[in-house]
Amino acid sequence: MNVFLNDLIAYWPQILMGLKNTLLLMAVMSITGFFGGIGVFYLSISKWEIVRKWTQSYISFFIGTPLLVHLFLMYYGLPRLGIHLSAFTVCVIGFTLNVSAYNARYLMTAYRGLHKSELDAALAQGFTPFETFRLIILPQVLRLSVPSLTNQVIQNIKDTSVAFLIQYPDFFTQMQEIAAVNFQFFKAYMTAGLVYMAMVSVIVVAARKMERQIALPGLQT
Amino acid sequence: MALIEVKNLIKNFDGKNILRGVNMELHEGRSKVVMGPSGCGKTTLLRCLNLLIAPTAGQIIFKGNDITRPGVDIRRLRQDIGFVFQHFALYSHLTVEENVTLGLRKIKKMKKKDAVEKATYELERVGMFDHRNKYPAQLSGGQKQRAAIVRALAMDPAVMFLDEPTSALDPQMSREVVTVINKLYLDNITMLCVTHDPFLAKYISDSIVFMHEGVVVAEDIAERLFYDHDDPRIRQFFLSVIDHR
Repeated sequence: MNVFLNDLIAYWPQILMGLKNTLLLMAVMSITGFFGGIGVFYLSISKWEIVRKWTQSYISFFIGTPLLVHLFLMYYGLPRLGIHLSAFTVCVIGFTLNVSAYNARYLMTAYRGLHKSELDAALAQGFTPFETFRLIILPQVLRLSVPSLTNQVIQNIKDTSVAFLIQYPDFFTQMQEIAAVNFQFFKAYMTAGLVYMAMVSVIVVAARKMERQIALPGLQT
Repeated sequence: MALIEVKNLIKNFDGKNILRGVNMELHEGRSKVVMGPSGCGKTTLLRCLNLLIAPTAGQIIFKGNDITRPGVDIRRLRQDIGFVFQHFALYSHLTVEENVTLGLRKIKKMKKKDAVEKATYELERVGMFDHRNKYPAQLSGGQKQRAAIVRALAMDPAVMFLDEPTSALDPQMSREVVTVINKLYLDNITMLCVTHDPFLAKYISDSIVFMHEGVVVAEDIAERLFYDHDDPRIRQFFLSVIDHR
C-alpha cells in the first residue's frame, strides 16, 4: 500500500492535471450538450416535416452508434482528409454531438407529456411559435427533464474516461500511467473508481437539491 | 357594421366537410352563443375565426378586413380576440398572476408594474385576487376557468371567444363560471361562446345560433329556440339537454 501511496503522492501534479482536464471536459460537454440538446429538440418539433425527419435521423444515429466510433472517426479518420484536430477539440465535438442527441430525446419525451392546449392558448393569445417555444414549452420541458438531464451529466463525467483512448490526458489516463509504472492495477483502478464516485455524488446531491427547488406546488415531480 | 361577419365559411378535414358554408354576424357589444349536437362544427368554427385552424374557403370579415386573405397579421388579429378553452389551458409553470401578466408584458409590451396593476384589477373583478400566487395545479376547476377568463380579458380584446367554458366543470363550479361570464355579458363585452349548457347560454346571450352538420340552421333568442321551435332537429336537441320537468 505504501508503494502505491508514494506513487500517488509522486504523481500528484499529473493526477491533479488529469482531474482538472476531466472536469473541464465534463463541464464543457455538459454545457454545449445542454444547449445543443435544446437546439435539436426545437428542430424536432418543427412544423416542417423534412426538418423533423432529419433531426430524428440525427438523434437515431448518435444514440444508435458508440461514442468511441465518433471519437475515432474524428481523431484518426479526419487526418486522412487533411483535417487535424486536437484531442480536446475532438472530445468536445464528439461528446457534444452525442450528448445533444440524448438531451434532445429527454426533452422530446417531456414535451409529449405537456398539455397541448397550453400551446394553443399561447398561439391564440398572440405569441409567435418561437415565443411559445421560449416562454411556454421550454421552461416546462426543462423542469420535467431535470432528473434525466442531471443523469446525463453523471453519464458525461463517467464517459470522459474513454477520452484517454484518443490521447486526451484526463484523470483516468493518469491513473493508467501510475498502474503501468508500479503494476498495481487493482489499486489504481479502485482509486479511480472511488474518485469518479465522489464526483458523481457531488452532482447527485446538487441535482436532487435543484429538483426540490424547482418543483411546482401542487404537482408531483 | 358587424364586428365579425362570416360568409359561406367552409372547412374540410381529410375530405370530410366539417363546416359546409357557415354564415353569421356578430355586432360589437353583443353576445352570441353557438349550440348544436357534438360534431356539428361549433369548435371548428371558433378556431377558424381566430385562424387557429385555416378555413378551406369562405370569408371572415373582422373589423372590416378579410382575415382569410394571405399576408394577414395573425399575431395582431389574435391580440384582438380573447380565447377561453374548455380545459382552461393555463400555463402550468406560472402562477395565476404570471399567467395574466405574461401576455401583457411580452405581447402588449407593458412594464411589469403596470401589467401587475392591470392583472390585480381584473383578478379582483372575478374574485381571484386572493389566488394570484397559486399555480394552476393548486386551483379548483372553477378557479382555473376564472383565471383563464381573466387572462383573456386582461388583453382588452375586441371580442371574447369561449369554447365550452363550463363543460369540464361540476355543477357548482359551473355556476361560479356562469356568474363571471354573465357579469361580462352585463358589461356589454362582445362574446361568442360555444356550449352545450342551456343554463349558460340563456344567461349570457342576446341570441343563440343553432348549428347542425356544419351549417347554421337557426338563430333566435333562448326562450323561442329552447321551447318553441318548428325545426324537429332543434326540438330534439333541446329536449335532450334541458330538464323539462
